[in-house]
Amino acid sequence: MADKFDVIVIGAGPGGYVAAIRAAQLGLKTACVEKWIGKEEKKVVHGGTCLNVGCIPSKALLEASHKFVEAKHDFDDMGIQAGDVTMDVKKMMARKDKIVKNLTGGISGLFKANGVTAIDGTGKVTGAKQVEVTDLDGKATTYEADNIVIAAGSVPVEIPPTPMTEGLIVDSTGALEFEDVPKRLGVIGAGVIGLELGSVWSRLGSDVTVLEAMDSFLPMVDGAIAKETQKLLKKQGLDIQLGARVTGSEVKGKEVVVKYTDAKGEQELTFDRLIVCVGRKPYTKGVVADGVSVELDERGFIHVDDQCRTSVPSVFAIGDCVRGPMLAHKASEEGIMVADIIAGHKAEMNYDAIPSVIYTFPEVAWVGLTEEDAKAKGIEVKTGSFPFAASGRAMANNATEGQAKIIADAETDRVLGMHIVGQHAGEMIAQGVIALEFGSSAEDLALTCYAHPTMSEAVHEAALAVEGHAIHMANRKKRK
Amino acid sequence: YGRIPAAPAVRRLLREHELTLDEVPGTGKQGRVLKDDVQRYLDAGGKA
Repeated sequence: MADKFDVIVIGAGPGGYVAAIRAAQLGLKTACVEKWIGKEEKKVVHGGTCLNVGCIPSKALLEASHKFVEAKHDFDDMGIQAGDVTMDVKKMMARKDKIVKNLTGGISGLFKANGVTAIDGTGKVTGAKQVEVTDLDGKATTYEADNIVIAAGSVPVEIPPTPMTEGLIVDSTGALEFEDVPKRLGVIGAGVIGLELGSVWSRLGSDVTVLEAMDSFLPMVDGAIAKETQKLLKKQGLDIQLGARVTGSEVKGKEVVVKYTDAKGEQELTFDRLIVCVGRKPYTKGVVADGVSVELDERGFIHVDDQCRTSVPSVFAIGDCVRGPMLAHKASEEGIMVADIIAGHKAEMNYDAIPSVIYTFPEVAWVGLTEEDAKAKGIEVKTGSFPFAASGRAMANNATEGQAKIIADAETDRVLGMHIVGQHAGEMIAQGVIALEFGSSAEDLALTCYAHPTMSEAVHEAALAVEGHAIHMANRKKRK
Repeated sequence: YGRIPAAPAVRRLLREHELTLDEVPGTGKQGRVLKDDVQRYLDAGGKA
């Protein structure tokens, strides 16, 4: 029997590594098990999906490709003559890889600084207080721990009509590794990942078609915001086909023919590359040994209560392998909550105030209820919106697309949701999260002094517009 | 819509001391309970 720990965390993604650091900070003897092998050197890297093949690399490519588009199409308006702007895809990728390497190495450094023991290998819960780790050479070691945190994460969903084909049909990870710009690019799935990856390659010159099985676009987003986003992305050249169900594919040499059905019947399109991003599923297979009564639900998620406790009291599970939105910051907050609980605190997390961001240009960000959610719940609301077209800062920034929208309870004026499509929406939405956390009213935001000129003033004006008192636009509503 | 309109730190302090919002008199806007209020309540030995 090897070392005994207070806490063993399985997985070093945003859920696991944050849980491990927090637990160590609270004085618990903590280990974190990870099996992810890095891209360059054949050794274990920390950071999970988010750092290695998710949030961070996709943002690096989104930023680079956006700057390219700006230089190519928008600089001229500002009087900047940049000549013939070109993109060196290999160099863009190398920059992304360097950022990933820096950050994953940074986590290993934080583990050392906080006294977290990093264990390389594949972890498996073999008892209520026992974890078996199989190292890279296949040697198994069993560790004892008073508490176990499963943070095993998720993997892309594969669908039978489009089996992965090296370099041709890829998942999100493969789409972050293209070495050149595919001329015709197909994307299956118009969710967050599909829109972001489609945007990157469309900006660099790909002819992008996004096939989405559902009839509605971004159904989780407020209706008015989703509608405007769809229009903006279409204008940028993303051909988004809704109600398009993929039925099959055929690889012909270096091309892939995709068959799908839509309202008009059977269709066929030929692409040079195809990205499948229809969703992600919890990675829970083999994480818990037979005979340990950690329950899974029918979709493979580990069953947990509000405190992320599994059916075994000493075992917790967090992040993408449990219920709730599959977002890095959700996983991390659960990690902090669980570490606090293990250390004896009465921790809780607020699932009503988790922001979501789509890093297209303009960005889409939201928190809380949509107008449609409120209606479905029978809550009477008042709303206020403000378009960036009326914002001085947006004009100066050459970013006048989009709007900010606030949903408030009609009776109490409490802010129930904030929804923004616009440049820096992901940064601005923090205001909505704070408003929800503090239970603030739309009036609270309206009475707050916002810096001028800033994009955030659109939130201020939207709050004023809730009562029909926006200053910088004609109000539609009757004033009180 | 769910939660009590109190700041996150207030909610945490209440939880740690197994108190409810109703027990602590609030001095904030519209009777809102502030972190100070909870601290004062605890310092006074749990009396309003």
